[in-house]
Amino acid sequence: MTEQKPAEEAKANPEDRRIGVYICHCGGNISDYVDVEAVRDALVDEPGVVVSTTELFACSDGTQHDMIDAIKAKGLDGLVVASCSPKLHQVTFRNVANRAGMNPYAYTQANVREQASWAHQHDRAGATEKVIGLVRSAVAKTRLSDELHPLRFDTVQRSLVVGGGITGLRAAIGLADIGLEAVVVEKAPEVGGWMGRFGASFPSEASGKDQIASLMAQIKDRRDITVYTSAELTSKAGTFGNYTVGITLHRDGGDKELSLDVGSIVVATGFDSYNPDDGEYGYGMDGVVTLPEFKELIDTAPAVGKLSYQGRPVRSVAYIYCVGSRQGAGGNEYCSKFCCTSAIHSSLLVNKIDPSIRQFHLYRDIRAYGKFELEYGASRGAGSTYLKFADDAPPTVEKLPKGGLGVTVTDLLTASREVILPVDLVVLVTGMVPRQNKSLIDLLKLPVGTDGFFNEIHPKLRPVETVVDGVMIAGCCQAPRTAAESVQAGLAAVAQSAALLKKGYAELEPLVAKIDPDKCVGSGECLSVCPYESITMIEWDGRQIASVDPSTCKGCGGCVPLCGVDAIDLLGYTDAQMRSAIEELISAEAPTKAEAVKEPVS
Amino acid sequence: MATMVNPNLITDLQKFGAPDINACYSCGNCTAICPLADNDATFPRRFIRLAQVGLTDELVTSKELWTCYQCGMCTARCPQEADPAEFMATARRYAIAKLDKSGVARAMYTSPVAAAVISLLGVLVFGGFFASVKAAPADRLVFGVPYEWIHLVGLVVMILVALVAVVNLAMMARATAKREGVTGKSLFGSKQAWGRTLRALWSAIGVESLGQKRYREDCADDQPAEPLYRRRWLIHFLTLWGFLALFAATLIHYGGDIIGVPESVAESVISPIARVIGTIGGLAMMYGVTWFGINRYQKVSAAAQHTSLSDWMFLGMLWLTGLTGFIIEVSLYLPQAHPQPWAYVLFLVHVAIAMELVLFMPFTKFAHVMYRPVALFFYALSRESHKQLQSA
Repeated sequence: MTEQKPAEEAKANPEDRRIGVYICHCGGNISDYVDVEAVRDALVDEPGVVVSTTELFACSDGTQHDMIDAIKAKGLDGLVVASCSPKLHQVTFRNVANRAGMNPYAYTQANVREQASWAHQHDRAGATEKVIGLVRSAVAKTRLSDELHPLRFDTVQRSLVVGGGITGLRAAIGLADIGLEAVVVEKAPEVGGWMGRFGASFPSEASGKDQIASLMAQIKDRRDITVYTSAELTSKAGTFGNYTVGITLHRDGGDKELSLDVGSIVVATGFDSYNPDDGEYGYGMDGVVTLPEFKELIDTAPAVGKLSYQGRPVRSVAYIYCVGSRQGAGGNEYCSKFCCTSAIHSSLLVNKIDPSIRQFHLYRDIRAYGKFELEYGASRGAGSTYLKFADDAPPTVEKLPKGGLGVTVTDLLTASREVILPVDLVVLVTGMVPRQNKSLIDLLKLPVGTDGFFNEIHPKLRPVETVVDGVMIAGCCQAPRTAAESVQAGLAAVAQSAALLKKGYAELEPLVAKIDPDKCVGSGECLSVCPYESITMIEWDGRQIASVDPSTCKGCGGCVPLCGVDAIDLLGYTDAQMRSAIEELISAEAPTKAEAVKEPVS
Repeated sequence: MATMVNPNLITDLQKFGAPDINACYSCGNCTAICPLADNDATFPRRFIRLAQVGLTDELVTSKELWTCYQCGMCTARCPQEADPAEFMATARRYAIAKLDKSGVARAMYTSPVAAAVISLLGVLVFGGFFASVKAAPADRLVFGVPYEWIHLVGLVVMILVALVAVVNLAMMARATAKREGVTGKSLFGSKQAWGRTLRALWSAIGVESLGQKRYREDCADDQPAEPLYRRRWLIHFLTLWGFLALFAATLIHYGGDIIGVPESVAESVISPIARVIGTIGGLAMMYGVTWFGINRYQKVSAAAQHTSLSDWMFLGMLWLTGLTGFIIEVSLYLPQAHPQPWAYVLFLVHVAIAMELVLFMPFTKFAHVMYRPVALFFYALSRESHKQLQSA
């Protein structure tokens, strides 16, 4: 890890800074409610301000070029844009500074749209006064800005994949192919997960077992993949790009510990199948099975012949959909997504084994989306009958006096007639539930949603990253989905790992806490509040002081106010900067152009 | 109340020639396009659904089965090519078989061999019976069987078959009434009920069965529309009235004989009247039936795409009855004073087929003559009830 460049000790006099101030009209969003000219004029004579100007759209390409030209021509060393929220354009204008050769951390955005013009649409004078205060405050903060540089450190060219199902195995191959070493940790004694248990699975007739075997063959061909079975991730230290993980191998004759450096972690721990309660749709009765149990029954049946359950021939089957999914408030509210198609596909397999088996599908909505619609059509064509029940009128299952099971359902498509279907087998089309994995969640600080599945940062734009840098999620640990979609997510995590690690180094924002070793008295109080465990005690100049690891510090500032001796500063938001900014904001000084503010706010 | 379904209904229906209705996804286009479906009679979607789910009783005893005239528009518009029109026809065949507890109809519909054997036996029995009525000396034998026995067997078969018809019809009417919620009280309980019942009767028998009003007006657009001279409602109308006329002519002719009208009166008055009615009726029926045959042979419209054995048998028997009748009539005008022996044989064939046609009614496509008016009565009753409710 390369050390951050020390801030220049001999700072220029703040009054001598050369700061450019740009006040944005935002096409009227600001200028309609704020006298932007008055703001500009108020800033012209501010100490350290070299340029003060207004722009129709500061973020437009043309204006960005003008800014770059101005920074270069006038030798600006600070930039303030009074516009929208920094959420929107902080990066934009930091890049402007960067392109002009100015330190990007000498840029400050004054949010005068959300905080002034939009908020005070009926008080032009008051809004204008407030904007002047906000911009002055930003200028004050910029005057005291230090030159900061992103933190850069080397990355380990290896990824850890947690979970050896179809997603994890395929991701491992992807990692190896992209030039990263892959280590797969599988808790079970065998790899393969759910797919490894099953035969044919939609959308094809290809066997899940065969697909896992083919992945394992490919893995054996690659030197850069190591697969550990009966293994668990038990410890994690370090930061993204450079984690040190501990793996426990459960072996005959005791556990073995293993320590590894990895750059990223791909979590592909999969799902659990919903386990119905006793009596839920007759579960527990002889002849009532879940979807995975039924799939195993199909897998063990002859290719063509008779389907039998516990020695009895199966002449008719009723599938009850949405078991454990879409349960409404308090239950699993989500749709498990794969199960409609899986049940439909299973019924087609049953048709192949014995076309004379009568199959009833009791559903709420069929969600055989995309190309799976064709499977739905094929199953109807093959003789499956679909009965739609209302959400509030689920079917019931009971034993029939003459033997077999009776499924009672009110079919909305038969004029809501209540019918009893005499069947030999009832298949509960069970959905997915999050796997119980508390130790892993605690260890990796994985963000868990209210549904129990892991959360990504952004469902569209950052679909496999978590808020923990370098920890990716893929497959059904994130949400119910199909095998194909899980593998896609796994490969996305591969690409994302490569994006993080392949450069060989990683950069972090330098906006982190910094401890002045001279001031620190080593009380250790700051250690107790750091949520990222970034602060440690070190030996310095013969005494114990606190030290911040800049690679794990998030710059939250939680430690700053706790320090009794003011030894901690948050770079980019130093005490001096913030104090100056606040003073400027609350200063009673009248605006320089008094006519601009016609009705001062009392 | 929950009904136990019959999981094998579809398989059973396939034995009666049901089209592949698995394709149906219950969109209801067929019901929407049907010119005869309304709030008092929803079909065909409902019937396909009943078959898919396996509700046999409802399929068999619902009045709507018989309110369909199979124009074929539903089949033309079905997005899934499930052929609802042909399914309705199959369901009627199935209903005829299901309602017939003797099992004869089922055997005839599901096995061509059984159909042929039973038809032939029927012709022999009825032919034998008539041969024994006419001019048969008691001591003559056919294959060693005395004519008296044949006469007796014929009589018993006739009575049995007629009884079966009555029982089937009564059961169908009772089941449909139950399904429709019609009781003795709702039929005859009040003056208003009487009015409703009589109006429904008139609508079912007069307006629709004899007048063919909706067949003519609502099912006019067969796909594709045929020229008027061969349009289905017209040829059906001519067949129906032709048959009725022939039936009337027969009754007049033999009726006079039975009640003992003097031969001179019969010769000079009754016979010419019967002959005129019979000739016109025969021509009308032959015209209609011939076109029916041609339409089906040419598969001229959606309604004529599929012709089952029972359709051909029904048309064939009607046509043979007409043809033999005409030949006999022509033979009467031949120079010989007395009928030729071949004419006598032909007469027996004519009578046997005609008898079989009528008496086998509960087993064949002819059953629609007994079930349809009953269904139309319940349909009209439902309409009357709703009208009264609305005006109340």
